[in-house]
Amino acid sequence: MNWPQLLITVATIGSIFGVVTLALNLQYARGGMINFGIVAYFAVGAYTYAIFTQPSPKGLDQYAFGLDWPWWAGVLAAGTAALAFAALTGWPTLRLRGEYLALTTFAFAEVFHSFLLNERRIGNGTVGLSNVERPFGDWGPIEEKYVFAAVAALLLLATLLAFRQLLASPYGRALDAIRDDEVAAESSGKPAANMRRQVFLISAVPVGLAGAVYAMFTTLAQPSLFTAEVTFIVWIALVLGGERSVYGAMLGAFGLVFFEEVVRAWPFETVRSAQIAASVEHIFTGLLFIAVLRFQPFDRIQRRMKART
Amino acid sequence: MTEAQPAGVHTVDALLEVDGISKRFAGIQALGGDRGLTVDIGRGAFVGLIGPNGAGKSTMFNLLSGVLPADSGTVIFDGKDITTATSHERAEHGIGRTFQTPRTFESLTVLENVVVGATSPGEQLRSAFGRSWRRHEAGLVDHARDILGQVGLADREAEPVTDLSGGELRMLGVARQLIRRPTLLLLDEPTAGVHPLLQDRLAELLVELHSGGMTLVVVEHNLHFLLAIAEHILVLTQGRLLAQGPPADIRGDPAVISAYLGEDHAA
Repeated sequence: MNWPQLLITVATIGSIFGVVTLALNLQYARGGMINFGIVAYFAVGAYTYAIFTQPSPKGLDQYAFGLDWPWWAGVLAAGTAALAFAALTGWPTLRLRGEYLALTTFAFAEVFHSFLLNERRIGNGTVGLSNVERPFGDWGPIEEKYVFAAVAALLLLATLLAFRQLLASPYGRALDAIRDDEVAAESSGKPAANMRRQVFLISAVPVGLAGAVYAMFTTLAQPSLFTAEVTFIVWIALVLGGERSVYGAMLGAFGLVFFEEVVRAWPFETVRSAQIAASVEHIFTGLLFIAVLRFQPFDRIQRRMKART
Repeated sequence: MTEAQPAGVHTVDALLEVDGISKRFAGIQALGGDRGLTVDIGRGAFVGLIGPNGAGKSTMFNLLSGVLPADSGTVIFDGKDITTATSHERAEHGIGRTFQTPRTFESLTVLENVVVGATSPGEQLRSAFGRSWRRHEAGLVDHARDILGQVGLADREAEPVTDLSGGELRMLGVARQLIRRPTLLLLDEPTAGVHPLLQDRLAELLVELHSGGMTLVVVEHNLHFLLAIAEHILVLTQGRLLAQGPPADIRGDPAVISAYLGEDHAA
């Protein structure tokens, strides 16, 4: 197994999924919102980047829009589009709570996925948009794959710093109060609905940017990359890493991606053994997920640390 | 004193004008009767709100603080119509309240539970990303510590709220409102489960707040506590205003005695 290649892939994909997990951490662990449709915001970022940077359609292309703008304009557009999509979907859904919000966001994501599959003029249908621009290339002696890993890691670091700053401020404290008891928080002058909407919107921006980097890395924006499975992977990563901590959320994302990539890269001698390994991977992840939910090790550690201080 | 006249003896200037509010739950009238409840609270008054269980006291607090919308009627606070204002808007206008069942923020410490009651500049999204809020934060924390001292929780500030007793949680609820310096403070059964020594301290605190100009409305089943410190009493029964007046008059009112203890005792 090519360990350096594996680690660089884990660093890149782990950072991208780490950004999405951090956004989920902000929305759920601090904002109290269950978003089961986060893949849609990720997809919006990827498709927007592809549409803004790809050339005009020609030959057998079925898509109608290709703006051929520079990569940085595509990245900006990806963040803005994710924000706009969050505003559009947040307006009707954020009046809901708990499982109702979870189901509605899930439904929104499924509708969007179906739209991408069937609307060829936007995303070229099931084929998707291929040959997405990879803007970086080799930087002198530094190979492109390292540049990508660095860009993804920088996005993760910027998201982490921004969210940490937000959550360590009185804004984060008010957000905790709203999550703990909305009626009491409102009676203390906290505009719960407004703050929840703000969190939903700002957390969508890095998810859109992560979608753009993902599209660059894979050179694809295809419906099969943005299924509900992505949402569940990110949720599992959040739970595995400990939902209360931003570092735990990141760790969960890296751990899960590492695990998946190892299974994918393992040099199995037969197809059968590779299939069994893939199944075992899912079973193991599921068992781990159940164990974390059952025993809540991260909550216990956090309580112990708090008691010590 | 008629129903619509300001309650309290400090001033006839009404801070809160409630006109015809009513509330039904599942078709059953919880507050207001046929014509709705009309009552004024004078600026700087210290009003006790009493009545048997189910009289509509907590419902009235929920309607005044915006936790529940009224089915009918208007609420004017400090000259402004707040009938359609949300709970947090009413808090910003200067209405503070505590709850019959203490409500706390379990992920925050005792001190943070008080500090979060204040409106910090860092609660604005734009300011949260900056550093200017840090200047105000130290002052807020000092103020919260002073208030915790006033309610007897000074040595508990670093603890999680889950470590507090029921009575201490009530005092914490009062403290969280005090840091807002509300113009009108609605306290829902503040002495329930509170240690007698702490009750004396609470009584002193309320009298002090009243002297400082704060308008207080206190729902309380502990009549001994309330009648000793309130200046004006409103008696609710079955969602209607049964009687109102100074504590001395209310004590001997046969209708009030009947409502609390039954017809035999009123005779």
